Formats: sequence, structure tokens, C-alpha cells
Amino acid sequence: MNEQQQLMASVTRRILSDHCSTELLDQAEQGQYPEALWTLLEEQGLTTLGGFEALGGGGGDFCDVLVVLREAGRYALPLPLAETLLGVSVLSALGVALSDGPLVMASGQFSLDADQRLVGRGARIRFGRDAKTLLVVAERDDQTVLCPVLASQVEIEPGVNLAGEPSDAVVIDQKIETSNQIVLSGEGLQAIEMRGAAMRSVMMAGALEEALSLTVGYALERSQFGKPIAKFQAVQQQLAVFATQVAASTRAAETLMVTQPLNLMDVAIAKARIGEAAGLSAEIAHQVHGAIGYTKDHRLNHLTRRLWSWRDEFGHEGYWQEHLGRELLADTKTELWQQITAMG
Amino acid sequence: MFQGMNFAPAQLPPELARVREEVRDFLNQEKDWVPNSDFNAGACPDFSKRFAAKGWIGMTWPKAYGGGERSFLERYVVTEELLAAGAPVGCHWIADRQSGPLLLRFGTEAQKAQFLPEIAAGNHFYSIGMSEPDTGSDLASIRTSAVAVEGGWKLNGSKIWTSNAHLNHYLVALVRTSPPSEQRHAGMSQFIVPLQAEGVTIRGIENLAGEQDFNQIFFDDVFIPDDHVVGEPGNGWAQVMSELAYERSGPERFLSAFRVLVEFGKSIAPNPTEAQTRLYGQMVAHLVVLRRMSISIASLLEAGEMPDNEAALIKDLGNNYERWVPEMIRLQQPDEVSEGFAQALNDCVLHAPSFTLRGGTREILRGMIARGLGLR
Ligand SMILES: Cc1cc2nc3c(=O)[nH]c(=O)nc-3n(C[C@H](O)[C@H](O)[C@H](O)COP(=O)(O)OP(=O)(O)OC[C@H]3O[C@@H](n4cnc5c(N)ncnc54)[C@H](O)[C@@H]3O)c2cc1C
Repeated sequence: MNEQQQLMASVTRRILSDHCSTELLDQAEQGQYPEALWTLLEEQGLTTLGGFEALGGGGGDFCDVLVVLREAGRYALPLPLAETLLGVSVLSALGVALSDGPLVMASGQFSLDADQRLVGRGARIRFGRDAKTLLVVAERDDQTVLCPVLASQVEIEPGVNLAGEPSDAVVIDQKIETSNQIVLSGEGLQAIEMRGAAMRSVMMAGALEEALSLTVGYALERSQFGKPIAKFQAVQQQLAVFATQVAASTRAAETLMVTQPLNLMDVAIAKARIGEAAGLSAEIAHQVHGAIGYTKDHRLNHLTRRLWSWRDEFGHEGYWQEHLGRELLADTKTELWQQITAMG
Repeated sequence: MFQGMNFAPAQLPPELARVREEVRDFLNQEKDWVPNSDFNAGACPDFSKRFAAKGWIGMTWPKAYGGGERSFLERYVVTEELLAAGAPVGCHWIADRQSGPLLLRFGTEAQKAQFLPEIAAGNHFYSIGMSEPDTGSDLASIRTSAVAVEGGWKLNGSKIWTSNAHLNHYLVALVRTSPPSEQRHAGMSQFIVPLQAEGVTIRGIENLAGEQDFNQIFFDDVFIPDDHVVGEPGNGWAQVMSELAYERSGPERFLSAFRVLVEFGKSIAPNPTEAQTRLYGQMVAHLVVLRRMSISIASLLEAGEMPDNEAALIKDLGNNYERWVPEMIRLQQPDEVSEGFAQALNDCVLHAPSFTLRGGTREILRGMIARGLGLR
């Protein structure tokens, strides 16, 4: 990471460590949207990061976005920052002026008919209810188009993911100006998926680092049989395995933070590898925490439930493993070792 | 965050593509072996000699000692190409990886001038003499000892599991030069023992695959001249610890099963099932990340750091990967496989138990990682 990225990370960290208390996370889960914190992030320019300045964006590139989102993952930020920054990057890439945030991408079964009516339903839209603008991906004849829609004009069926984050169904039936129908290429669609998977990857990496800190801290604090449980070799060995998983995740995530432009193979590797680490690490984190870590009151669950959700979002490990395997196997002219060294 | 987890992204400079091509060309011309990516699997003095003639042994060392004054990252590229091609690297591997760097760091001027050029020329091969019949993980418990005599030391005792001692010229042995005391790590020294010296007996030990790659060595009043003591007498422990980052962080800690992966890919490529494709992608994802971590360590070494804990971490992660790969492939292999595939897989299954033992066991490595986490 370059100096500016380090600075950005530390600024984000300071804000989030001040504000993302366990209390705030609990309240957010109970439906109290932390509006003030969003405003703060907006004031810091974090909610338009990676968007072209001429289009109303805050500047910076997608690597910077990932640097900030790792911190969001670390603090389990209960706000649609990733969703918004994904929207910002998509609009910016299309050369479209940014709509008001929070922005949330919505895909599902949406289509535009001959009368320019956008009709359909999309399920599991993360933070759908909190969006100001939904960026709806819809089919129009044989094209895919992106339609910015005011969230106040759609119907929301609330739901939650494993982490208790809003995961809503969105139902739409409204007319869309043709000027608000932006054609997406196949590449454009793939880029959305790729960026989304990159975002979840770095968020998991942040959450994993934090979960390791919490767990090591707890092992040093908690005493049984007259000594801290950290002194038991069985516990040490578990935590060492945890550390290896975190180190690999961090390395895979940081590749994304220093590589411009983002590429699909790196993202596939990161999402598959970190997703795997997430499951293994969460298991150890809970084992070492004992019963207290299994309670809703404890901070750990805000991290582990997100890890369990995020590893499934934008393609689970199996999806990306398959993608990777397919790409590599299809190129029969290049030997595996050459493929690997070419990835750097 | 914690100690021992610094794997900051590092890139191999683009100009290293050239040396990579040179090594590939060389290996393509040489290739007359059954490829095996386990660094311990093949040893061929003639191959090592021809390899040395290209300037690829001791390549980071000063030119004055036969080295090439090239970077650790360049060396990284060369070593990983060797392993990926499954070349017989066993003869020169240890001398290039750790005996040479040890001498460079702690040896006297005369030692450097005498021993390093011979290593770099591929003339002399080295073994590691740490383990003993009663000493494995607890290295400080060694009993092989030496007493001072006129002009040097008289060495008695035994080392065991010494890879390739029957092929090599020298052993760097950790021995007691003063009796054990309260300070467990004091009183040890490192000797350069010529394996042909009088009083040295080497007895081969067959491993479970039926090969002789390691040995037991007996020392019976072996005279070691003073100028064969590495560094300061009594400083052996610190010196031996300084070898660990080199010993543990390289690509040999995660590439041992690589040929099995290659064979698996070739066998499924025409018509892979979904499960095979996924497994293949999963195994490559792990490998790419391990490789990137190892390159991160190589650049720490290049910067003059001693990333012992990082090395322990990647070795543990890499060794587990090497053990997991053949187990998974076994279950997803096609019904009909080539000779080459069957052999690579069988070889790997037979040698896999050694991956998590040699160079420090899994449990010992995890103990180090735990120390980095502040748990002990
Ligand atoms: C193929 C091969 C090549 C080798 N080549 C060389 C060589 O060239 N030179 C050389 O010097 N040595 C060599 N070795 C030896 C190697 O370094 C040792 O095997 C290793 O250090 C472990 O020692 P050990 O086998 O005596 O096992 P032990 O130390 O007796 O351990 C047995 C088991 O107990 C566990 N254990 C031990 N202590 C602890 C502890 N404190 N906490 C938790 N668990 C513990 C170990 O992890 C292991 O699982 C080689 C080994 C192999 C397999």
C-alpha cells in the first residue's frame, strides 16, 4: 500500500473505531439506521470514493476503495458503504453523474417493456431499504440496462442476512425515462460482479484480522485451571492455525489493493481463498471464546456472522474455484506453471 | 498487527522474466529425469555441476567468493523454476540455501575464501547436522560434543536423519563445546565436518518408500581443526537460529506436490467434471497465494531482515497444502490415469509424512507462530 492509502486506512479506522461500538451494531441490527455515522462518512468524502470528480465523485481509484472497505470489514460497519461505492464505480465507469447516496445495486428479475415500464422483483438486495437510489439491472429486449430509481418509489419487503444486515426484496413497477436507461455491456456486468467479489474479499480480510485480535486478546484474559487459556498448547496451536489463515487472507486481499486495473483471476483467487479461511477461522474463534462468544451480546458474532454471509455473497468459494479451474483448464496450450508465474 | 505476519505485497521485477526464461531453456535441454518437485527427491552431482556453471548457485553472494551479487528475488525465481520442473536439486540445495549464507554471515575471511567458491562452482555439497538419536525438536538437547585439543577439537557422538550425507562433502554440525549448564542455549558451536575425515562413519537409513536419502553419522575422535569452526565457539545456537528464515521460507515448502497437480490437470483437461474443476481451481488459488507470500518473504530477506516467524508461518501453511493436495486429488482422479500420474501420486503419498517433519515439525512451527501472537 502506498502512503496515501495508509493514511486513508488510518483515517477510516479512527472514525470507525470511535463510532462502531457493539452498541451501535446491536442497534443497527434492531433497525436503527446509524444516520449520523453515514453523514460523517459523507463529510469525509468516503461515500463517493473512486468516482470521477467531474461526475460528482470523490476521486481516488478502486484500490483506494478496497483499502477503505477492509476497515469497514474490520469494524463490521453496519452501513451500505460497499454497496454505495460499488454503485459509484459502476456509474463512473459508465460516465454517468452520481445519484444521491446511499446507492444500492439491485438485480433480480427486472425487465423493461415496450412502454418503458420497469417491472419486476429482486431478492436479497443488501441494504435495499436504506438506499436513496437503487441502480436496477434490467433486461430490455436483448440488452441489459441500468436504471437509477428513487428508492422512495419502490416497494420493499424486508429481510436480513445471517449477519442481521438488511437483505430485502425490492418490487418495482414504474415508468423509466429513456435517458435513465443506460446500456450495460457483458463486460460491464462482469465488472460489477468482479468488483463486488473484490469488496467482499477485503471486507472478510479485515473482519478476519479483527477476529484474530479479539480471540488472542480473549485467550490471554480468560483463565481456567489457574492460568490464562493462552498458555495451553492446544489453544496456542489452534490460534496459530487461525493466524496462518489470516496471513493468507491478508496477502490475497492486499494483492487487490495494489493491482490496477483489477483482474478477474486475482479476484477469483481472493474470494475463493479468503472465503475458505473465513469458515475455518470463525470456527476457531468461537472454539477459543467458549460460550461467551456464542452470545448475541459479545462482539465476536458481529464479525463471524458477517464472515459467514460475505463468503456467500458475490459468489461463494465453489463458484470462484470453478471459474478459476475452468479458465486454467481451457487454455491447454499453456502449462500450469506458466499460468501461475504469469499471475505474479 | 502481530509479530511474524508481515507479508506486504512484493512484485518480482519484470526484468527477472529474462532469468526465468534462461532457467527454463536450460532445464528443457537437461530434462532426462522423472520430474518430482520434492527438493529431497532427486540428487545428481553432474546436474548440479552444470547448473552451477550457469552462475545459479550462490547467486546472491559477493563475486569475490564466487557469487553473482544478484538479488534474493532473482534467486527465488531460479529456485522455483527448478522445483516446478521437478529437477534433481538434492545435491546443491542445502549448500546454496543455508550453509553458504551461514558461512557468509559468520565465517572468517579465510573460510569464505576457501569454502564458498567451491559451493558456487558446484564442487562441494553440504548436509545439515542438527538432529541426533535423542534430539529432534528439542535441538538444545544435543549430546554430540567436542573437546579442545592442540590446534582444534576432538569430536564424538552421532547425527541422524542427515539427508544426502552419503553423497555430500561437508556437514555443518551443531555440537556441544562446553557441558550443559543452566543456560540451555550456551556452549554450542558449529563445525564444518569433512564427511571423508578419519573417524566419520556414515550408515544409510532406508525411508518408508524404500530409498536411502538420509543417514546416521558417527563421529569417533574426529579431529576438527580450529579453522573449521564457524564463527565464535559458543555462538552455535544463535547461528543455527539464523539459518531458519532461509531454511523455511522458500518455495520447497509448498511445491513438493506440484507435479501431482500438473498431472491431475493434464488428465482432467479434456473433459473435467464440475467437482474436478473446482478442486483444481481451489488448489491453484492456494498455491498462488502461498507463492505470493513466499515472494513477500524473499523481499524481506533482500532488505536484510530475518523474518523467522513469517518463515515458520508459511512453512506450516505450505506443508499442510502439500499434504492435502495428494489426498484430494486421490479422490477426484479419473478412472484411467497415465503412468506418470500414478507414479507422481504414489510418490507423493509415500513422501508426504516427511513434509510436516523435516525442517521443523508442524507443532514446533505453530509454537513459533503462537509466540509471535504473544501467547507464550
Ligand atoms: C526426510 C527427512 C529429512 C531430514 N533431514 C535432516 C537433515 O538433513 N539434518 C537434520 O539435522 N535433520 C533432518 N531431519 C530431521 C528433522 O529435523 C526432525 O525429524 C525434526 O526436527 C523432528 O524431530 P524428530 O523426528 O526427532 O521428532 P520429535 O521431536 O521426537 O517429535 C515427535 C513428535 O512430537 C512432537 N513434539 C515434539 N516436541 C513437541 C513440543 N514441544 N510440543 C508439541 N509437540 C512436540 C513433534 O511435533 C512430532 O509430532 C530430517 C527429517 C526427515 C523426515
